[in-house]
Amino acid sequence: MRLTLRARVVEACRDLPSSLAELAPGKRARVTAVEGGGGLMLRLLEMGFVPGTVVTLVKRAPFGDPLEFQVRGCHVSLRAAEAGWIQAVPA
Amino acid sequence: MSAGALRVALAGNPNVGKTSLFNELTGARHKVGNYAGVTVETREGAVAARWRPARAITVIDLPGTYSLTPVSEDEAVAFRCLHGDGAPAPDLVVLVVDAANLARNLYLAAQLCELGRPLVLALNMMDVAAAAGVPVDVDALGRALGVPVVPTVARTGEGVAALVERIGAFGQELWDMSEVRGRLLSEPPPGPLRGLGPARARWLLAAQAGGTLELTGASAAERAALGEVGEEAARSAAAAQVVARYAEVDRVLAAIGHMAGDRAPAMDRSARIDRVLTHRVWGLLIFLLVMAALFQSIFSWAEPLMGVIEGGIAWLSGQVKELLAPGVFTDLLTEGVIAGVGNVLVFVPQIALLFLFIGLLEDTGYMARAAFLVDRLMARVGLHGKAFVPLLSGYACAIPAILGTRTISSFRDRLVTIMMIPFMSCSARLPVYVLLISALFDGDARLGPFSQASLVLLLMYVLSTVSALAVGAIYKRTILKGPTPPLVLELPPYRLPRVRNTLLQVYDRTADFVRDAGTVILAMTVVLWALLSFPKPPEAPADVDPVEQRSPIAYSVGGRVGQAMEPLLEPMGQDFRMGIAILGSFAAREVFVSTLGLVYGIEADDEDNVPLRAALREAKRADGGPRYTALSGLALMVFFVYACQCMSTLAVVRRETRSWRWPLLMFVSMTALAYVMAVLVYQVGRWLGYP
Repeated sequence: MRLTLRARVVEACRDLPSSLAELAPGKRARVTAVEGGGGLMLRLLEMGFVPGTVVTLVKRAPFGDPLEFQVRGCHVSLRAAEAGWIQAVPA
Repeated sequence: MSAGALRVALAGNPNVGKTSLFNELTGARHKVGNYAGVTVETREGAVAARWRPARAITVIDLPGTYSLTPVSEDEAVAFRCLHGDGAPAPDLVVLVVDAANLARNLYLAAQLCELGRPLVLALNMMDVAAAAGVPVDVDALGRALGVPVVPTVARTGEGVAALVERIGAFGQELWDMSEVRGRLLSEPPPGPLRGLGPARARWLLAAQAGGTLELTGASAAERAALGEVGEEAARSAAAAQVVARYAEVDRVLAAIGHMAGDRAPAMDRSARIDRVLTHRVWGLLIFLLVMAALFQSIFSWAEPLMGVIEGGIAWLSGQVKELLAPGVFTDLLTEGVIAGVGNVLVFVPQIALLFLFIGLLEDTGYMARAAFLVDRLMARVGLHGKAFVPLLSGYACAIPAILGTRTISSFRDRLVTIMMIPFMSCSARLPVYVLLISALFDGDARLGPFSQASLVLLLMYVLSTVSALAVGAIYKRTILKGPTPPLVLELPPYRLPRVRNTLLQVYDRTADFVRDAGTVILAMTVVLWALLSFPKPPEAPADVDPVEQRSPIAYSVGGRVGQAMEPLLEPMGQDFRMGIAILGSFAAREVFVSTLGLVYGIEADDEDNVPLRAALREAKRADGGPRYTALSGLALMVFFVYACQCMSTLAVVRRETRSWRWPLLMFVSMTALAYVMAVLVYQVGRWLGYP
């Protein structure tokens, strides 16, 4: 019963904006906004995570963190905590 | 570099072949320049005659950066150099871009356009781009950006002649970036900053937003203006700048028929390799193998070379002794100067091997993967994944390990790593542990399948590792406080390493160590020798029992200091003899063994310490009890785990931090910690009833 409830919540949230940290490996998302402290926000933007850009999560590192993204023709690795500042919608 | 030469700055992202191009242009002849007050290096060299430059050209190699926004020291230095802050501004900027990866590389081009300096684009790796199916229309790119574009393949030297010709033609044509520049600068900076140049205003604004104003050397007036802008306005203005630059990049890409999608055709092969190399099982296994090889190389492979150097030094010193009459001058020459040179040169094999490894790992692209694999573990201490290799190297020797921290870009994080490394139990501590364990512990005692001796040794390594991590975490939370640095690590395409570039780097680093840290080590060796040699003892009457007779070293200044320290040494279970040996081991930890031998009047070195072991076992206190026990040995080993008994480490830390502040703090804090821990071990042991 609890599982089905959880499944329903997941279903309902699927189309809501979420962050790149929640992306599944192999899935793509479109960046909508970048938040976080000034230095980190600028660095993320400059590495190509600008709003409108489509990003793919390539894989997670063996210990679950960091994450490897494909963005603007490059592979860039971010920690989940950092990727969490990048708002995105499924693309 | 001749006066009046055209000054050309070489800028570019990391991993785009900038170093290869610099080496091609200058024939690898350059001098290393440091910016005042920072540890980031720039290199300068004249364009080699074989390119037949139309005029004298000086090339300045800037640090490889993704942008000029001062988030770290590298970028701050790159901008200051381009802006003419502290040195004359370059006449011309050559931006090296990876033709296979324009979507991110051209961001830096947009920033350089804002700066307004004449710009030439060196479109490198044209071969890779063509092979990946994304050829670049060179003319269209030049038209879209309004700057000359020269295709190059720096690995083979292709296009370098054309690039030199283009640079030499500086001033003879119209450079027209005005259209691009106009679009980039169309949004004026917030009101209070309008008095500054447009590029500098934008740069300071980004520094204000990023909280890194201290890197910019902003004047009081500039700071006041920035203060007026306010935090939130600076943040959104700086973000808008980045978005505008990428919009311009996308416009240029569209003009040459490229898509700025998330596809990475040049990365296809690397992604396939990564299926193995960053795999959760195979990736970690291969990582362990690579690290084991790296460690083995500096721990064991360097050994024969070090033996050759030590042998050579011993031979030279023997020759000098034979040539010159015995006397103070001969001793100064052999035990001071020649020994000092030996103390410097003995590190060369380890440093060269470590930099060879690091260079190859960086060049191939594996280093970024290694950091990717272990970042999770390092992040727990608040460090970057790149701190792993230097820390691991610390188990072999702190000197190359500290030099190896240069791969860490944030200065604060480099410092934390540097402060942690000397706690790692280096190979020079091993002879000390071995002497004390074999002399003072029961060789037959076992605990299950393990001998007591091996467990004690293991304990020392565990203690050193745990302490290093704890110290790192403490520094991270106190004086070197700062957020865990963002990882934001590019995983570059795998490439075959350029052995020539790597060897050049190995030579640079090693020569730099010998030149800079070497002189300090040499001076310290001479001073230490003098302290342990003077004043000389009076001639002893022949009938004095040699055991009772004090050895010459006990008469010296160092010996007297050791004796004066005895009340301090007693709480940790040591006597003045150990005190003198501890002082002597400041030259290098393994010298402890030979100094203790001198105190006892016994020849001893790392390999043969049997007589010394016996002397330690048989030494008696005034009341007839043994002078040294397993407990006092343990306390002394704990002292060696923590104490920074290594002048070479301090010399290298000074070199890398460019101040005496950090080595001083390191020495004082480590010695205090060592003392407290050793006293604690001895006193608790006594309280528990151990002799």
